[in-house]
Amino acid sequence: MNIVVCVKRVPDTAAEKKLDPEDFTLDRESVESIMNPVDEYGVEEALRLKDEHGGEVTILTMGPEPAEKQAVRKALALGADRGVLVTDDAIHGSDALATAYVLALALADLEPDLVILGSESTDARTSLVPQALAQLLAMPGLTNVKKIEVADGKVTVHREEEGGHAVVEASLPAVVSVVKGINEPRYATLKGIMSAKQKPVDVLSGDDIGLDPAEVGLAGSRTEVVEAVPRPPKEQGTIVQDEGDGAAKLADFLQQNKFV
Amino acid sequence: MDFSIPDEYAEMVSTFRAFLDREVRPVEEAFLRELQEDELTPQMKEAGLGLRRRSAELGFYAAHMPEEVGGWGLSNLGYTLLVEAGASTGLRFATFVLGPPNPESPNPILMDLPLEVRDRHVPPLVRGETTMCFALTEPEAGSDAQAIRTTAVRDGDAWVLNGRKHFITNGANADVAVIFAANDREKRANGGITAFLVERGTPGLTVGKQQRTLAGDTNQAELVLEDCRVPPEHVIGEVGFGFQSAMKFLNSGRAYIGAMCVGIADHLIRISVEQARNREAFGRPIGKYQAIQWMLADSAVEVHAARLMTYHLAWLVDRGDYPIRESSMVKLNNTEMVGRVADRAVQVFGGMGLLTEGPVERIFRWVRMLRIVEGTSEVQRLIIARSLGL
Repeated sequence: MNIVVCVKRVPDTAAEKKLDPEDFTLDRESVESIMNPVDEYGVEEALRLKDEHGGEVTILTMGPEPAEKQAVRKALALGADRGVLVTDDAIHGSDALATAYVLALALADLEPDLVILGSESTDARTSLVPQALAQLLAMPGLTNVKKIEVADGKVTVHREEEGGHAVVEASLPAVVSVVKGINEPRYATLKGIMSAKQKPVDVLSGDDIGLDPAEVGLAGSRTEVVEAVPRPPKEQGTIVQDEGDGAAKLADFLQQNKFV
Repeated sequence: MDFSIPDEYAEMVSTFRAFLDREVRPVEEAFLRELQEDELTPQMKEAGLGLRRRSAELGFYAAHMPEEVGGWGLSNLGYTLLVEAGASTGLRFATFVLGPPNPESPNPILMDLPLEVRDRHVPPLVRGETTMCFALTEPEAGSDAQAIRTTAVRDGDAWVLNGRKHFITNGANADVAVIFAANDREKRANGGITAFLVERGTPGLTVGKQQRTLAGDTNQAELVLEDCRVPPEHVIGEVGFGFQSAMKFLNSGRAYIGAMCVGIADHLIRISVEQARNREAFGRPIGKYQAIQWMLADSAVEVHAARLMTYHLAWLVDRGDYPIRESSMVKLNNTEMVGRVADRAVQVFGGMGLLTEGPVERIFRWVRMLRIVEGTSEVQRLIIARSLGL
């Protein structure tokens, strides 16, 4: 089975982030980056399916070299077979739909049986790319998945829903986005890290995948960030003085604020 | 000259940090109350050993050991980075998940055992299922380790050991002991001292007194040898040349103690800076006062210098050098450095720094030990002075 996992590099979740004051894109220089945490579950799921069914796991990402390569290398260290990086100045600032467009072009050449993504990235949190990608590739799109089984040319998933899950089946090839907790991601071993250096990573330009520059980047995006405001500092909380009636005061407070 | 950490090591350290966060931190948080009381209950020890086996499974615990016994054959620089990363989390349980510089973890000198003995004893140590101890020190032979009085006499099909070891870390619990004995006291290091692997329960080997240190542990034991018969295939390396093995162990141990000091100091600076930013006096955070700033600036400079010395030592070792002088310099500098950094941290925390339930008191006490163990500061100076031709 030919599985492609799309991964994204995001600023370290714990780190303080800065935006470029001009175009409100992320200032990547200012912060440590990591592989999007949910993507690790996607990589693990792909490796698990490969262990079960055989085949190959390819990691696909887009963004500037060489930093993006690190996200790919990390997935290769975990056991993926090869990487593809699409890099082109034109794609800087692409929104979710433009991102899906770039990924779809690269994926068309990779002829995947299954495309796996994390359900959302911790930086943008739109959750739009998997569904848009399925649409562009004309494949079934199964989102927010917490269990995947593949058999007889079909994929069966448990889709997380309010209060339970739906069992959904689709023909392959398909696009699946997975949620945190679908599995227990493995750790890279030193041997894995060392052997990742020998694995191939193809670097493709916009021309290589037949990209139309008008469809991508800040100009080609259908959404625009018009303003970015830092979160206001935390305000001083309410301090309840206990004069024998603390419990009643707390209960009143909770009631007034509709917590209870 | 290139000061950057190789990509693969950066990746390995970030994987190790993820392991500490995901698996070690939750255990630490489950035992917060006991940790505050500075206790090590049997449940905590069990949890710690479980984490150790898990770390071994992932490859970190005995990464410094060669691949043929189940390790990663990780370089000295690689393990130095792991030790630093572990210590800089401030997690107490992090000490369970790495081998060196803990003398109960598998030691590369065991690779000098005959193959059959090695393959029986070393892989379980690498998997974290068993522990060892390193028995060199004696009541009459501490800093002057060549003066050991424990004797080894060949008698028919065995070596017979007699003597007394003390201050042996993990001596009471070790499954195997590496014991140094004099086969010829006249020759001292030059053909006179032999290293033996002795299994727990071997007739003639008993555990004497177990002693408490200022660090609060009871892990220091006396080992008593009375006509303890050890088969000749349990000799580590060559008869008469065990002292060289001991020095090899102590040298690499010094590098890792150096790395641990850097990690601990890093942790202390981080929590001190946080305290200096949050604690207010006379209407301002205390970090706005020069008195506090200068203390922390000095600590930052010292830890930076120590880190560079430590990485340089690791680089020398990996290049195949036998850097006795630099090992001593790192051991001396870094253990003294972390003492000063801990002292300033106590000062920054003020009254809270004195409380046993505070975040620095225990560390302050614990790092004092490092200037004594595995070669005192004075012995390091002696070695450095010798290298100057004195």
